[in-house]
Amino acid sequence: MNGLSAIGAVGASVAPVSATGYLPPPDAGAGTGDTPFAAAMSGLDHVSGLQSTADSLAVQAATGRLEDVHDYTLAATQAKLATELTVTVRNKAVEAFNEIMRMNG
Amino acid sequence: MTVFHALGVAGTGVTVYRKWLDAVSDNIANMNDATTPGDPDVFRAKYVIARAVDYGQGDGGVQVGGIALGPQEGRMVYDPDNPLADEEGYVVYPDVELSSQMTQLIMAQRGYQANLSVAERARDSYQAALQLGRSA
Repeated sequence: MNGLSAIGAVGASVAPVSATGYLPPPDAGAGTGDTPFAAAMSGLDHVSGLQSTADSLAVQAATGRLEDVHDYTLAATQAKLATELTVTVRNKAVEAFNEIMRMNG
Repeated sequence: MTVFHALGVAGTGVTVYRKWLDAVSDNIANMNDATTPGDPDVFRAKYVIARAVDYGQGDGGVQVGGIALGPQEGRMVYDPDNPLADEEGYVVYPDVELSSQMTQLIMAQRGYQANLSVAERARDSYQAALQLGRSA
């Protein structure tokens, strides 16, 4: 029993090799910056963070637990501005892309 | 904090002035609390201490550093008909001056409005910049 458990312990200490183990690991920053379009889309995470902050503060205001009225209104303003900014960036990026595609024809 | 830094900083300012308003309203509501001399439960006026979040090396903004309490002794007033008076006829009232509390109330209100107008103008500025990007 002791010998078998020792073998099990040795097996646990060796990391299992996956099928893609020989490939280099994916680039950590690949999703955020390799194209300007992808960078614009990654900004959506930040916007959704601001939106969820504003939503949770709205729930607090509705249940009467909100201490500062301005917390909710300022968070809602920031979320709205961030959304408008992301929409503008997306529109510009799509416009530029369409211009380039039109060059082909 | 983020892209809209001015809005966040103005938000911290409004929070501090809101707490100042709360402290002043508490002081004014409790200014006529009568207690017997020798009773430890004397109302002590609250003063909000505002401190910067960082002094010059970071995001900026303000926070409440602490609440200072007024003196413990209070004012002795001769009022023998009061049921709480001691055998010499004195009652203790809190050491809260209405005139200085009204001044602090005006300062807290104007500070609150000033920070909100900063937030409003910052929001209008950001919207003007977004407008520029939208048209062309």
